[in-house]
This record gives sequence, C-alpha cells and structure tokens, in this order.
Amino acid sequence: MDEITARLDEFIRERCEVGDDPDYGPDVNLFDMGFLDSMGAMEVVTFAEQTFGVEITQKDITLYPMNTVNEIAEVVGRKKGLC
Amino acid sequence: MNSAVCLLERAYELWPENEAVTDERRTLTYRELRNLARRAASALERGLASRAPVMVYLPKSAEMIAGFAAALYSGRPYVPTDSAAPRGRLEKIISNLAPSAVITNAALAKNLEGIAGGTRVFLMDELAGAEADDALIASALGAVTDSDPVYVMYTSGSTGTPKGVTIPHRGVLLFARWAERTFGWTSETVIANQAPLYFDVSVMDVYGAMRCGGHLLLTPEALFRFPNKLPEFLADNAVTHIYWVPTVMINVANSGALASAELPALKTVAFAGEVMPNRQLNIWRRALPGRVFANLYGPTETDVCTAYIVDREFSDSEPLPIGSPLPDMRVLLLGEDGRPVKPGETGEICVSGSGILLGYWNNPEQTAKSSVSDPDNSAYPTRYYRTGDLGWWNERGELMYSGRRDGQIKLRGNRIELGEIEAAARMLPGAENVCAVFDKPRQEIVLFLEAADEISLPAVRRGLRGAIPAYMMPGRAVTMEKLPHNANDKIDRVRLAEWLEENRPG
Repeated sequence: MDEITARLDEFIRERCEVGDDPDYGPDVNLFDMGFLDSMGAMEVVTFAEQTFGVEITQKDITLYPMNTVNEIAEVVGRKKGLC
Repeated sequence: MNSAVCLLERAYELWPENEAVTDERRTLTYRELRNLARRAASALERGLASRAPVMVYLPKSAEMIAGFAAALYSGRPYVPTDSAAPRGRLEKIISNLAPSAVITNAALAKNLEGIAGGTRVFLMDELAGAEADDALIASALGAVTDSDPVYVMYTSGSTGTPKGVTIPHRGVLLFARWAERTFGWTSETVIANQAPLYFDVSVMDVYGAMRCGGHLLLTPEALFRFPNKLPEFLADNAVTHIYWVPTVMINVANSGALASAELPALKTVAFAGEVMPNRQLNIWRRALPGRVFANLYGPTETDVCTAYIVDREFSDSEPLPIGSPLPDMRVLLLGEDGRPVKPGETGEICVSGSGILLGYWNNPEQTAKSSVSDPDNSAYPTRYYRTGDLGWWNERGELMYSGRRDGQIKLRGNRIELGEIEAAARMLPGAENVCAVFDKPRQEIVLFLEAADEISLPAVRRGLRGAIPAYMMPGRAVTMEKLPHNANDKIDRVRLAEWLEENRPG
C-alpha cells in the first residue's frame, strides 16, 4: 500500500507541478484545490492502470471516492487485492 | 393536459413498472416516483396557504425529481436549487423569490438557518412518509393552466443578482413532445443525464423520459472527472440517448476512449450550451456512424428554440449551424436599429413562442428590458425575447451563431455574467476597482484588481467563496496599481485583453 501511495504521489507532484505548495497533501481533495482537472485525472488513472497492472472501471469510480492521493491509492490497492 | 406533471401521471398509467429514474443509491419505478411525489404533494398542500413557488434544495437525485413533481402535484411551480450554492446566492434567491416552502434534507437545512425568514422548510424524508390525498391533489391540479409557471430557474445576472427565469407548463409539454418525436423515443429509451437539474439542459432529460416512459439515469457525477470512463458507463447501461454540454463531449473525444468503445445501443447524441467544435464532433461521428447528432440552441429563457440535426460532413474549421426553429418557435434577427436584418447579415437572435419565459420572477424591469415587439406586426404585436446572442441565416436557411453582444460568457457549459463576478469582487478588502475578463484560449476567468497591495488568488477565492458558485471562480488574479481606462473613462477591457495576450503563464 505504501509503495502505491508513494508512486502516485510522485506522479501527481510532477504532473500537477505541485512544488512546495503547502496546500498539497495525501488527503487533500485534488479537484477542489485545483491540482487536477479531468485531463490530469485521466492521466493519473492511466498511469495507475499501467504501473500497477489493474483496470479501474467506471463502477470503481462510481462506488469509491477518488479525490485524494490516498483514496486513489486505496482503489488501486483494492484492485490488486492487497486490501 | 395542463400541468407538466400530467406527463408523470400518464407514464404511471401506461408503464407503472418501468424504471423511471436511477441515481447512485436507488431506482424508482414510475409507480414509486408518482406515489412518492403525491404523498409529498399532499403534505405540502395541507401545510401551506401560499401558492408561491417551492424551492427544491437537494443534491441531484431521484428524490430531487420527486420534489419537483411534488410541488407540481400541489399546484405550485418549483425552483431547482444548486445544493452547493454559496449562502450569499441562496439568500439573494430566497429574497427575490419569496417561496412558499423549501424542500430539502437534514444536512442542507442547516445552510438555510437565518436566511429562510418565514419560509416553511420541509424535509423530503418527512414528506415521503405523509399520506396521499387524491381529492386534495385533484383540486390543486384543477386550478393550474398551461400558462402558469412550471419552474423558475435562476441564471447569472450582470448586476450581481441572479435572475429567475419563469417558464410556463406549455413550454415543457411542447418541448417534451418535440423531443420524443424528433428522436423517436419509446418506453425502451434510456437517457443518461449530465446537466445539473437546476440547468435547463436537464429539462429534456427529465420530461423527455416521462413523456415516453423511458428510463432516466442520473450519471454519477464523479465519472465526469474521468471522461475516458464515460463510454464504458454508456455501454454497461445500454444508454440510447445523451444530451450533454460540449465541454464533456470534447473531453470524451480527446480522451481517445471512443476509438475502442462499443455502443450499439446509443442512437441519439444531442448537445447544447456552447459551441461544439467540429474536430471533436467528427471524432464522435466516426466512432458512431449512422447515429443521430443534434446541435440544439436556446438560452434558459426559451429552453431549446432551434435545432440542427447534423446532415452533412463538416471540416474542422466550418461553423456548425444551430438550425431551424422548433415547430412552436419563431426567430427574428434584429439589427442595431431594431429592424429585421437583410438575409446574410448579422442581427440579435430574438425568439417568440408560447413556451418561452413568462418573465423574470419579481423583476419587471429586467423582463421589460429583455422583451421586444415584432416591428413588422404593430397591430397585433408578438412578444419576442432578446437573447443577446448574435446570428445570421446561411444560404440554406439555417441559423448560424456568431457570438454575444455583451459581457456574458460560457465556461464549461455554464452561463456566466462577468458583471456578477465583478459585483462580488468589489467587496474584497483592499480592492479599489475590479474587472473580470474571460481568457478564451486558456478557458479561464481572470480577475483584474486595482489595489495598493497584491491580492493573491487564494485570497480572492476565500473572499468570493460565499458569494458566487465554484464554476464562476476566477482561475487567475492580477493586481495592478491602476486599471487602464479608455476615452470614455470606462475600464479598458481591450487593453486588459492585450495585457493577457502578452502575459500568459507558462
């Protein structure tokens, strides 16, 4: 679980040019705080699918919140059967 | 049929066990939706003396649609209200509307404390447990005619006060019939909704489904953040019709997900609310050959007033027509002199029809300002609504859209008056003067502030959060010692636009 969070965090930090923004964190709503728009969101999902070998379906997105780094990591972890 | 809710009554009689509406939590059949609405309506009618509109202040859900129908069964118009609306905006709406009641839930009811005044607040859960009284409903509905208001929808107002567009029942009835016939809907139709229920784009979804006994899916909102997963949702649910704003259609097209999508059920794709670029439309059309694509046009004041069914190929740069008026609508293009323009010339799009707005709620000045009489028919004048949009007729007799004549913009399908943002921003501490400019290439609103010390974007957002909805938030804030003025001593928007050209980030 920790590795998934770390790699997602690293990807999002780079993709969203987070820098040293104090508003960023693993439990921050990436959409509400303006870090992610739908283009970025799709890139994060595609990155997660390719990196961790899972498929995130429309049902996953409907059933589970995916607004924060930790929430996205949790969905990926669940798909990998680690949770 | 006089009330729009007769569509629900008819669907209940013809297809009681058909699925009517599905949200993230549950599905209601037409029997369940109708009975729930009638129980709530009976409680409303027993509890209220005033015939004023009923605000329905709930998150998008089957329950919210039952709330609309409850108001209508009780003989009152409804006001669909954004559950995320900032308190300042809610307060302005309540003060303009003077509603007879608000239907809400326990969590949202807290936001109304201190601003509801004498308005009765009902929780939908409690209304749902009431007993239905058929005689009471029959008597309330019997007093409604199709010229009475069916709903009031608040849109952005340039002075900072939202305007309550008031639509008659016949507008909804005529439009639902037109949509059913045009798209060939049946009781097998499955509509996947995208638009918020407080935007007029959703009217076709809600009443179109009732008209044909079809199934309305309230697409989970989280999916719109991941547009590449939307085709999968359409496939899994065998959706037959969508009516989405172009921003969403563009995101889906650009995601590449249509290339591998299998959507045999999807028959009709309609869009409206802003200009649909042909490049993305062509991606959709190539992925879904032989389907019907419809470019619809109309401000909230008329709902849809013209339609163009795409009947030929368009190159990426050709403008897409907005088409011909609906059967019960008339369009007139008026020039600066108030006279109809010559063929091929650009004029303001003015619309008449029995289904257009009755007026702005409790706002006679705005209503008068937006109306014009047919200059060629002075003996029996017809009232036309001035849209503020510009258009021209092409050589095929199709209406073409060519922009706005004022400060209204469209951002991700949302209609926004820059003046409403400016009115709110003038209240920011330290701001001497403000000007909101739409940066079209970047699709963001830039707020220029005249202030001695810099006002940062987070400070702007904090300050505006209680006054304007999130979709109106500036994406950039620029502080200047002095805003440029033109010869008329007005803020020089042209120079600010030039400044933006030269000072784009990145």
